[in-house]
Amino acid sequence: MSGWDTVNLPLKSQPGSSRLKTVSRTVTLGRVQPQMPTFRTIFCNDRDANFAHRYKGNSISTTKYNIFTFLPKGLYEQFRRVANLYFLMVSILSATPYSPVHPVTNMVPLSLVLLFSLIKEAFEDWQRFQNDNAINSTLVDVLQAQGWETLQWKKLQVGDIIRVKQDGFFPADILLLASTNADGVCYIETANLDGETNLKIRKGLEKTWDYSSPEKACEFKGEVQCEQPNNSLYTFSGNLVIDNQTLPLSPNQILLRGCSLKNTCFIVGAVIFTGHETKVMMNSMNVPSKRSTLERRLDKLILALFCTLFSMCLLGAMGSGMFIDRKYFYLGLRENVEDQFNPSRRFLVIILTMLTLLTLYSTIIPISLYVSIETIKFIQSSQFINKDLNMYHAETNTPASARTSNLNEELGQVEYIFSDKTGTLTRNLMEFFKCSIGGEIYGTGMTEIESGIAERIGINVQELQTSTDSVQEKGFNFYDERLLRGAWRNEPNHDACKEFFRCLAICHTVLPEGDESPQKIKYQAASPDEAALVLAAKNFGFFFYRRTPTMIYVRESHVERMGKTQDVSYEILNVLEFNSTRKRQSVVCRYPDGRLVLYCKGADTVIYERLGSGNDYLNKVTRDHLEKFGSAGLRTLCLAYRDLAPDLYESWNEKFIKAKSSLRDREKKLDEVAELIEKELILIGATAIEDKLQEGVPSCIQTLSRAGIKIWVLTGDKMETAINVAYACNLLNNEMKQFIISSETDAIREVEERGDQAEIAHFIKEDVKKQLKKCLDEASQYFCSPSGPKLGLVIDGKCLMHALDPSLRIMLLTLSLNCASVVCCRVSPLQKAQVTSLVKKGARKITLSIGDGANDVSMIQAAHIGIGISGLEGMQAVMASDFAIAQFRFLEDLLLVHGRWAYIRLCKVVMYFFYKNLAFTLTQFWFTFSTGFSGQRFYDDWFQSLYNVIFTALPVVMVGLFDKDISPSLSKKYPELYKEGVKNMFFKWRVVVLWAFFAVYQSLVFFYFISASTSTSGGRPGKMFGLWDVSTMAFTCVVVTVNLRLLMMCNSITRWHCISVGGSILVWFVFIFLYCGVMTPLDRNDNMYWVIYILMGTPYFYVTLLLVPVAALLVDFLFLGVQRWFFPYDYQIVQEMHKDEIHGTGLSGLLESKHEHTAEVARSSEISRLPREVSKHSGFAFDSPGYESFFASQFGKYVPPKAWDVARRASMKSKAKPK
Amino acid sequence: MTDPNRERYRIRETAFYLFTQQSLPACKPVLTPGWVITIFLFMGLIFIPVGLVTLRASHSVVEIVDRYDIECVPESSRIDKISYIQDDSIPKNCSRFMKVRKYMKAPINIYYQLDNYYQNHRRYVKSRSDKQLLHGRKYHDTSSCQPVELNNGQPIVPCGLIAWSLFNDSFTFIRERAELKVNRKNIAWKSDRDHKFGKNVHPFSFQNGTLIGGGKLYPKIPLSDQEDLIVWMRTSALPSFRKLYGRIEEDLDVDDVIVVNLMNNYNTYSFGGKKKLVLSTSSWLGGKNNFLGHACIIVGCSSLVLAIVFTLLHLKYRR
Repeated sequence: MSGWDTVNLPLKSQPGSSRLKTVSRTVTLGRVQPQMPTFRTIFCNDRDANFAHRYKGNSISTTKYNIFTFLPKGLYEQFRRVANLYFLMVSILSATPYSPVHPVTNMVPLSLVLLFSLIKEAFEDWQRFQNDNAINSTLVDVLQAQGWETLQWKKLQVGDIIRVKQDGFFPADILLLASTNADGVCYIETANLDGETNLKIRKGLEKTWDYSSPEKACEFKGEVQCEQPNNSLYTFSGNLVIDNQTLPLSPNQILLRGCSLKNTCFIVGAVIFTGHETKVMMNSMNVPSKRSTLERRLDKLILALFCTLFSMCLLGAMGSGMFIDRKYFYLGLRENVEDQFNPSRRFLVIILTMLTLLTLYSTIIPISLYVSIETIKFIQSSQFINKDLNMYHAETNTPASARTSNLNEELGQVEYIFSDKTGTLTRNLMEFFKCSIGGEIYGTGMTEIESGIAERIGINVQELQTSTDSVQEKGFNFYDERLLRGAWRNEPNHDACKEFFRCLAICHTVLPEGDESPQKIKYQAASPDEAALVLAAKNFGFFFYRRTPTMIYVRESHVERMGKTQDVSYEILNVLEFNSTRKRQSVVCRYPDGRLVLYCKGADTVIYERLGSGNDYLNKVTRDHLEKFGSAGLRTLCLAYRDLAPDLYESWNEKFIKAKSSLRDREKKLDEVAELIEKELILIGATAIEDKLQEGVPSCIQTLSRAGIKIWVLTGDKMETAINVAYACNLLNNEMKQFIISSETDAIREVEERGDQAEIAHFIKEDVKKQLKKCLDEASQYFCSPSGPKLGLVIDGKCLMHALDPSLRIMLLTLSLNCASVVCCRVSPLQKAQVTSLVKKGARKITLSIGDGANDVSMIQAAHIGIGISGLEGMQAVMASDFAIAQFRFLEDLLLVHGRWAYIRLCKVVMYFFYKNLAFTLTQFWFTFSTGFSGQRFYDDWFQSLYNVIFTALPVVMVGLFDKDISPSLSKKYPELYKEGVKNMFFKWRVVVLWAFFAVYQSLVFFYFISASTSTSGGRPGKMFGLWDVSTMAFTCVVVTVNLRLLMMCNSITRWHCISVGGSILVWFVFIFLYCGVMTPLDRNDNMYWVIYILMGTPYFYVTLLLVPVAALLVDFLFLGVQRWFFPYDYQIVQEMHKDEIHGTGLSGLLESKHEHTAEVARSSEISRLPREVSKHSGFAFDSPGYESFFASQFGKYVPPKAWDVARRASMKSKAKPK
Repeated sequence: MTDPNRERYRIRETAFYLFTQQSLPACKPVLTPGWVITIFLFMGLIFIPVGLVTLRASHSVVEIVDRYDIECVPESSRIDKISYIQDDSIPKNCSRFMKVRKYMKAPINIYYQLDNYYQNHRRYVKSRSDKQLLHGRKYHDTSSCQPVELNNGQPIVPCGLIAWSLFNDSFTFIRERAELKVNRKNIAWKSDRDHKFGKNVHPFSFQNGTLIGGGKLYPKIPLSDQEDLIVWMRTSALPSFRKLYGRIEEDLDVDDVIVVNLMNNYNTYSFGGKKKLVLSTSSWLGGKNNFLGHACIIVGCSSLVLAIVFTLLHLKYRR
């Protein structure tokens, strides 16, 4: 037990250990101590030896403050806000004799505002503290004195030996020593780090495999020398010195904090980095905080207010300089006059009066605005967004979560969405969906895109709930009675069927795992497409269950033997692998009866080139089918076979072996040899795999694009895949004019083969320039004509890299901004961020990025708004995001409903604040003119100080929370309404000027109506009002008017509006009754004594109170009426279209979306009625195994051995089994 | 848990649910032309009668205003009015004639009206000590009264510019050789008399300095009974104001001629202020003031006109 828990919790340092305190002090001085060596030495299992190094403890703290720093740091944060600083200055100024107002006038609102903000900060920090505490108190087994002892995470120290059980999270960065699995292997899930859910293998050093029991582990006395903590997740360098032997360590032995252990009973490891020094913690720092555009515009408004304030003060001060004169003998200006009123020093008078007026007019700056906005946004995000049932994903039990409340209104102004593909648009789940065998389409399913089209043209297609007895498995979403459960035997083309299924079962590189029974088997495949195909074969009765390096075993149900199965073994002679140039994959196999067959599957283009003659009809029909599949967003493959004569095969095999064993250009030679045999193929059919989109994606995209939002897909996938998904998502279609800028051209490939990097770069750049120019020329003819086709741009990463070059950037931007949708494929995370900031900075549009994985983090942080997909995948993206939602389709609610409302509400709040403070302060300003510019206050100190924080504070918050122009269902039904936010219709200078006009008008009404009406009238009998009677009258009118004006701007008025508006007015009266009625010896308050009672004793009060607010609001009302009548906003039109509808609660909307089950026959006929335009797009897409490591290599990340090296793995497996 | 409790809990839950789902019951006022017209019509119908009643009240008030500041300076002194008014040796009495044009029912309020007099000037307004006014010399801190604070080291009671510049013209009214009785009591608000000015506070060392600002006070009478001072010290809101001087408690008939003997003591000449004497009856709404009535009628009429215009537009361009 030593200095670990003192680092972040200095208060809790253990009693009696004075040495520990010094430890904590030195550590907190700076993160990196200057004398630190470039590597650290860790003595495993030896706390005393490690103590000398004073490593950090494993407790983490993400809090901003502690008890001592809270006040200074918190106040500092608050005073970074200009408005607060200004009020502090004004408060100080108020304490000088130049001030016409008591310091209380400005102190009270300032301190209330500060108090409120500090409480909020404290609350948020407390929550973080609780969160940290929960993490720090998680339990883990630590080796202590011959046995495992359960300790809290925070008590962990560097060098400790710990045990982590299955599904447990690693508490620190750990060196893997031993695992319960054979070979010291363990599986980890790194979802928290990079969002990848596939398991990764980590393997301990052979030397340490045995230290899994406590007794053995006690003996472990290793010494780790490794690099100092750093934030690179994928690198690690170090050595383990054990028994005088130095063994190198790689990332392969390191288990990072935040990952979890899977498929392994437990592991034993040594802690090397703890707490804030772990790689994940070092990564999670300095997330830039974002400010919304509206807030930045607000700063401009505040600046304008400052200017107004300054000119008002200047005007008043000049006036006072001119006014002051000894002739006003009653002012006593003859002898020893203070500077401010000294007529012989007019310049000084002007300066000092400036200060006076500055304090007097301070109310023009809305001090409580920021607090109100923050409160509103906080409630909006924590109560509305986080708790919206429409954005709650029941299956994963994930609600939406606003991780920052700064950006709510930004959601209402998004113009560009940058979306990741895998995991965001798609589920990364491939499902066998349809097929075409021998010119016949099988499979009754309907893709999202098809149902989308159907809905658009008005056919009511209900989602088919697959009948319970049909085969349903993840990866196999196929239903057709003609094929399933052996029914294919009765089909007229059952021979073709058989070949089709065999091809699926044989021609692949999939590895089966687990029990050899159809229910329990698991397929390991390089790409999910392959797994889906093999799975399909299994469901059709061709169950592939075992693979050896040379054989494939398939359990077949045959035509001949009804209901019986037969295990057939096929000898695999050659595998001609898939790659992106070949776009096909072939297997040469020998049947048990000696028949030699080549099965091939691949892209339609390459297969069709290699088909034998004859059978044109079938080929033509199948091509139609392929196009049909393609336009439905399905990924297609063609299947073909060829019977080989033994002698033909033998001669070819020789060439193949030769090519295989060649040392130079082996890949190229293999491809050439493959060409020789992959010809004269016979087409069997085509498969259609659905790259399962996330639920509701196409319709969501449809809605969003109707809302004027442009969606860009940025993906690391290949171009074909990306285009395919774009089709499936409705981003691209055949009516669009598509521009494709690709680096996969022959010319580029040729240059690349020469291998000169500089030449390649130059060539590609020139090529990109040429292509861009061509596209731009072609596109510019459509720019102006609204009737022209929509434009779409597809560009790949390599080209993008050059197109982002400053010289080409403008062209790229012009072209892409004019496209309805843009697809960028094979882009790196960095490029994703670059593209995002290109639009953000170059086009000054509001951008939103959405993604789920670690590769989206940079993009999420670069955009104005980052959205992480939460739920299934990892946390990295979510941690970096501003909002987290479970499904892409929730964007619709988030943007169109929440964002739109937040924007409209916030605009209203800001405008209202602006208006009410201006109107109030201007009455004061007009009064200045009739006081000889002396800066006499019109209102009592308390009126002025409470005006903002009490009498007008609450109702505006109600508007910020409850104002609802149209129901959520309507805002989704009319997504076009969203454009009002994009165009920033409600916070333009025009709007500001309008409000300013009303404020000026109203303040004139307040001041002049009341001064004119009190000049001769008064109370009975004949008594006259004084200054304070008049000002109280005016203030009453201001409070009433301003509160009523709020009601006028509401679109919906709930009980709470009435309560708060009525309450505010009531509070004013209660206040003034008490204030005027009580006179204590301490605060005599003579001026105000009994004023309100005098006023209310006269009929004048009531007539005025009726007249002034109405007269003040008449023009506003007229404006509202005329505006709605003659220049209505879009939402107002929608409001009136639907004003007679009863707006149900949110529940009815949810019920509506429930689908009814209809007969599947009816459905099929509905589908057949769908319009099918002939498509040029046939939908080929197949994940090339190579691309997985694309990013990995960019990161310098450890790449596991090729998963598709099937034969090798199979042999390893068979060896491992008997053991 | 008892049933009402559960019921309450359920209601609270439901309310919270409606809150988070943003579906609180609300009325959605849509400002359709129909509503606009109705509201304007309604406004017109309310404000025209109110305006008429108010205007009638104002018209029922009879008011005689007489500006006397110039006329009361002898022709010879008019060139240099300031030295005239500052010369104590010249008698300041002056007579004015006021003709009653309409029957005036008692009580008739007598006001003096000052124009261009900044009683609301900041230096002026704060130059008083409320505590001293209540506690007299027992209260020592008169710093707020600058620059009329001390006289020979002794605090002045009442201190401050406001008291120092007390208006000191006086008026007597004669009708047909008989002096009209003027009631000078109850001219200040009761709350001022009772709570702000001490009953045992007597003026001290008042107007004894080198400069005399205005009226003097009787040292024998406590401040709470010096109603002229109390009225004066309720500073006015605007630089043109009326203050109550007293009341004539006899009716005045048409064509009565009132002779006003006044002492023109107060110096408004140095800053060009006007002095007026006002005799006015009062209505339920106070003195003569057409503004409220006119404003109401204007608001009402414009509402009505707008209502009509909108109706016509509505009929012509039906949506």
